[in-house]
Amino acid sequence: MLSAAIGLYSGFIIWYFTVLEGVAIEDVFEELPPALLDAFGVQDLATIEGFLGAQIYNFVWLLGLGLYFAYVAGGTIASDIESERMDLLLSFPISRARLIAEKCLALFVPLLVVNAAGGAAIYTLALLIGEPIDATHLLLVHLLSIPYLMVCIGIGLVCSVVADRAAIAERVAVGFVFVLFLVESVVGGAEEYDWIQYLSPTHYYDPTPILLDGTYELIDSAILLVAFVGLLLLSQILFQRRDV
Amino acid sequence: MDPIEVTGLTKEYGDVRANDDVSFSVERGEVFGFLGPNGAGKSTTIRLLLGLIAPTAGTARVLGADVHDEAALIEAKGRIGYLPAELGFPPNVTGESVLEYHASIKGDDRLDELLEIFTPPIERPIREYSTGNKRMLGLIQAFMHDPELVIMDEPTAGLDPLKQEGFNGFVRDERDRGMTIFLSSHVLSEVRRVCDRVGIIRAGQLVELEEIETLLDQGGKRIRVTTTEEATKALSALDGVVDIQPFPDGIQFIYTGGYNALLRELARHDIQEIEIGEPPLEDIFIHYYGRREPSSETGGDPDV
Repeated sequence: MLSAAIGLYSGFIIWYFTVLEGVAIEDVFEELPPALLDAFGVQDLATIEGFLGAQIYNFVWLLGLGLYFAYVAGGTIASDIESERMDLLLSFPISRARLIAEKCLALFVPLLVVNAAGGAAIYTLALLIGEPIDATHLLLVHLLSIPYLMVCIGIGLVCSVVADRAAIAERVAVGFVFVLFLVESVVGGAEEYDWIQYLSPTHYYDPTPILLDGTYELIDSAILLVAFVGLLLLSQILFQRRDV
Repeated sequence: MDPIEVTGLTKEYGDVRANDDVSFSVERGEVFGFLGPNGAGKSTTIRLLLGLIAPTAGTARVLGADVHDEAALIEAKGRIGYLPAELGFPPNVTGESVLEYHASIKGDDRLDELLEIFTPPIERPIREYSTGNKRMLGLIQAFMHDPELVIMDEPTAGLDPLKQEGFNGFVRDERDRGMTIFLSSHVLSEVRRVCDRVGIIRAGQLVELEEIETLLDQGGKRIRVTTTEEATKALSALDGVVDIQPFPDGIQFIYTGGYNALLRELARHDIQEIEIGEPPLEDIFIHYYGRREPSSETGGDPDV
């Protein structure tokens, strides 16, 4: 379902790119303030890679999927507690820590599927309009999005074990990821407060340059993975201490 | 060591003491009834026993595992069956896949046998289940791995009378095989049919721990008679009549004496209607303790 929706959107965007060909699209964006261009990863819009980076990866992967996975993870534990399903789950001979770890693992399935399906769809569509994308770069964009999305899942899990109601956990998780996205975009320009941007997971995953010329920092992904493990551990500790 | 040992168990939610210094133990191979009005703290005790919530003070041991010790409790849970009061099965899957899921974690040694006694429509999705069907599915998952100890929170709520009888027979057979059963209820008649011993909880405190016969002797019947004014007076004067409540055209009272004396008196008068039933637990409490329980009137809900 999610993959299909993203496939359709990608189809539209790629078709739109063919329509825009010949139009001096960069002129349109020149008027915009640099902070905004930065926020939406606008860079080299005239190339298919730059166009996709801005329209699909920054918009769908960074923001859309980030929010989606934070939302779904936010609902996991909290909704089981709310529907009283947790009573039965915790009567099983498994630890609370393992329960969260397994819930988290279950979310990796859609995470991998949406990346595989989305990547394949975009590659094929780009090929169809005669603007092939570098397969290695595309693979990297998807591969490196996984640690970023894992952090979003981690944020959702922490919200999920703290909140009493699923709706609250979901909203707080979504709000948190969105605020972090905004913070990184806005503060990036201001030197005095630029340290704040390091708090945002979006700072450690930038799809446009990866797509354009395959540049990335492995340390960024490592930081994201460490952050994910930290969030997972935090959610386990908090869950162990709470009444359900 | 007894399968359940509860010592000084206390759980506070803010100002509310859902469990207040509760102590009792359940012996191996007995059916123990945990009786109390709604909101008395029965579910709280059960949830404390399973480690779902942490006690404010005191402790409990279940099959030898202290509830504070997660590792020991996890080991013990493999030998425990649990039926919660609210059954939050996922609505979109079939009963069959719920049972398959439970089997994958706990085992299903007795599944086929249980499916003959309790008969939920396992091929249908849970959202189409009635309360009774959900309860039956819950009972199956609680017993399917042949546990040593089964803890049930209001097991017969929503079951029709026939299934309830089936349940009672099943519980007695399991006890005879050596299983220990702990069940909570707010209905005395339900508990009397299956339990060997009963603990009564009221406003978070354990107020009585009795053999079932003793309790029944003291419990009495609620009699409601529509009759003449003269008969009303005569009945009120009978031995063993307490808690008299007159209403237009008759009276209602709790009767703790023998049936014969009551029937002889009734036969002397013109009776239009008579109803002999189980007194509500709260009425028995009033009979015993002479006042209404505070928590049931304020509508607070410490039964969580």
